[in-house]
Amino acid sequence: MRLNTNETDRPAGGEAPPRNFLITKLEDMVAWGRKNSLWPLNFGLSCCYIEMAASITSRHDIARFGSEVLRSSPREADLMIVAGTVFVKVAPMVKRVYEQMMAPKWVISMGSCANSGGMYDIYSVVQGVDSILPVDVYVPGCPPRPEALTEGLILLQKRIAAERKPLTWITGEAEARGKELPVMREQKGWRKEATTLREPDEA
Amino acid sequence: MSIAAASNILEDLASRFGEGAVTPEPTLDSVPTFWTPKENVLEVLEFLKTGVEGPYRMLYDLTAIDERTRRKRQDQPGSDFTVVYHLLSFDRNEDLRIKVALKGESPSIPSATGVWSSANWYERELWDMFGVRADGHPNLRRILMPQSWEGHPLRKDHPARRTEMERYTLPLEKEVREETALRFVPREWGIYRTEGNGTEFMFLNMGPHHPGTHGIFRIILELDGEEIVNAFPDIGYHHRGAEKMGERQTWHTYIPYTDRIDYLAGPLNNFPYVLAVERLAGIEVPERARVARVMFAELFRIASHLVWYGTFAQDLGQLTPVFLTFNDRERAYSIIEAVSGFRMHPAWFRIGGVQSDLPKGWEKLVKDFIEYLPPRLMEYEKLVMDNAIVKARTRGIGTLTLDQAIDWGVTGPNLRACGIEWDFRKKRPYSGYDRFEFDIPTAGEGDSYARALVRVEEMRQSLRIIEQCLDNMPSGPYKSDHPLATPPRKERTMRDMETLIAILSVLGPVVPAGEAAVGTEAAKGNNTYYLVSDGDASSYRTRIRTPSFPHLQALPLMCKGFEIADHIAIMGSIDFVMGDVDR
Ligand code: SF4
Repeated sequence: MRLNTNETDRPAGGEAPPRNFLITKLEDMVAWGRKNSLWPLNFGLSCCYIEMAASITSRHDIARFGSEVLRSSPREADLMIVAGTVFVKVAPMVKRVYEQMMAPKWVISMGSCANSGGMYDIYSVVQGVDSILPVDVYVPGCPPRPEALTEGLILLQKRIAAERKPLTWITGEAEARGKELPVMREQKGWRKEATTLREPDEA
Repeated sequence: MSIAAASNILEDLASRFGEGAVTPEPTLDSVPTFWTPKENVLEVLEFLKTGVEGPYRMLYDLTAIDERTRRKRQDQPGSDFTVVYHLLSFDRNEDLRIKVALKGESPSIPSATGVWSSANWYERELWDMFGVRADGHPNLRRILMPQSWEGHPLRKDHPARRTEMERYTLPLEKEVREETALRFVPREWGIYRTEGNGTEFMFLNMGPHHPGTHGIFRIILELDGEEIVNAFPDIGYHHRGAEKMGERQTWHTYIPYTDRIDYLAGPLNNFPYVLAVERLAGIEVPERARVARVMFAELFRIASHLVWYGTFAQDLGQLTPVFLTFNDRERAYSIIEAVSGFRMHPAWFRIGGVQSDLPKGWEKLVKDFIEYLPPRLMEYEKLVMDNAIVKARTRGIGTLTLDQAIDWGVTGPNLRACGIEWDFRKKRPYSGYDRFEFDIPTAGEGDSYARALVRVEEMRQSLRIIEQCLDNMPSGPYKSDHPLATPPRKERTMRDMETLIAILSVLGPVVPAGEAAVGTEAAKGNNTYYLVSDGDASSYRTRIRTPSFPHLQALPLMCKGFEIADHIAIMGSIDFVMGDVDR
């Protein structure tokens, strides 16, 4: 998508529309821009963060999806990847950091711990980050492989592309959400029907 | 560990404190264990630290057991709570356990902070987790749980599951309250100093969310300009209740939880745990499993050190190395995944062996890796260790002397950087480490650069070990035939009824009553699991002595007098993981 409003490029006569012109609605373009430049907050809680780091570094390279600009300050980020366990002691801080992010903002809950407490049904662990903040995409796994996080990111991007949030909070609810995301378990039902599994005995 | 030495220390103690002042207790791990009354304990500790030949210079661990519901301990003095001091002597290469019996609902012990600096955090943990007060402690406040917490989680009457408790919510008032409670008030940390000369210090809060702290860790720096006058680490943000979890999971199903302690090197946590259970149960592990375990553990040591290498360089301002080392780590993972089917937390170790045999074709993967890595390490050496800026920023920065390191309970590469060759793989060989040829790198300076240097060389030594595993992998079974090995080998279940019952039972094995501790050399330092079995399907008390806990405690000592930027370099050089600190 390239915008060209340069007068001199217009063909002589001024009648035919310029060839490099793109007509779109402003909000569509904004959605496209938001989708392709998600800036994640550099924010790790626990083991899952290491796999998040693996997604960012060479082999998995999240830059392919426009999401490599890791920000350490919540004010510059618009995507919070809750990577790890949400501990009771840290939950107020997670909430605070989330609140410091500017709208529009999105949340990916990465890993079983952030999704539901995972294997830690224990006194010091909040049973899922959605007890304290809204979550857009849940990525299962303990920890999810980098590929899984990437899939989660793509799902979120699809959603953002379809979502029409107002340009500023002055004109409407900044937290307006798009339509519900599909449940992947239903879409991937075919996996349950697999009858031949790869032999684990061979490397 | 020689029995002669044990009786020897008993004689020393008896002649100093009189017959009957200390009572020996036989344990399954043959660590000499003595009971002593609370009134005597400080003198006994002091004497053991300074008064005996081959002194016990390190307070290796300090913890407690809630004995109120324990059944099988007829041979021990009665108590409601038992405080356990675990001491270590480098000269003797021997451990010693001192136990103190306490009665009542609000027990207390005299604080040992005057004897060992490292007792400080351990005693705070004792208070936080068990409600055992340390009288005379300079700053006895909760360490792992939030200050607003009610109850002491490791007491038997404290709920274990979150789902048994009230659902966690965070209304605005509560959020504000918790945030306000985090405000640093010097007085609450035992600082009453007011400078007479008009100097005012500034307190700078760093963390818990900060890219330089390697996880959720908070530290408050007391500054005089740029210079750090003092530092106050605040931990517990990553407390995942792993020890309490051990009392609920069966012996077998606890293995995955150990993976997640030092989450960069799972199998190095599995190791002391399975070894301790095997000690309790009396299981001999077959040769192939022993060597396979060593190979797996060393691969993870490399993977862990690679993460450290990259992030350490990043802390110093180099952005490239982390991309390179993470790539190498992926290559290590391709072996790990082929062997165990998992990347980060393989839980591949089992009580009595490993989960599965090595897959066909593993040799090629390992061979490729040990050929691939050394040239890369050479390259990083040029990139990082030879770099003038790296040297300028780490040499002479954050220096620990050997005496300080021992006093603060520092182990692993951080201790070896102070010039002592102390490595459990050599000193107390487990799983057949004594049959491998490898060196223990040490350095003398004790500064950040020395710590880094030791780790870099350790990766090469690990490669040597892996190569020997590759060349000499024994054949034979990968799991013991012992009836308590879990889950039993398939072939056995086909032949004998007992084992079939064991495999069908959800509980897994019942481990005989007793106590045992096994320590191993993990990536960050000495890691020990101290297990108490009451003859049940799960442990009665699981104590995890992790290396990073005391390392972080020594952080203020290391950064006093340096500047904020140095502090980042020092933190990077210690190589800690919050899971390993808070458990
Ligand atoms: S989901 Fe698993 S890997 Fe992720 S933080 Fe929780 S325990 Fe760690």
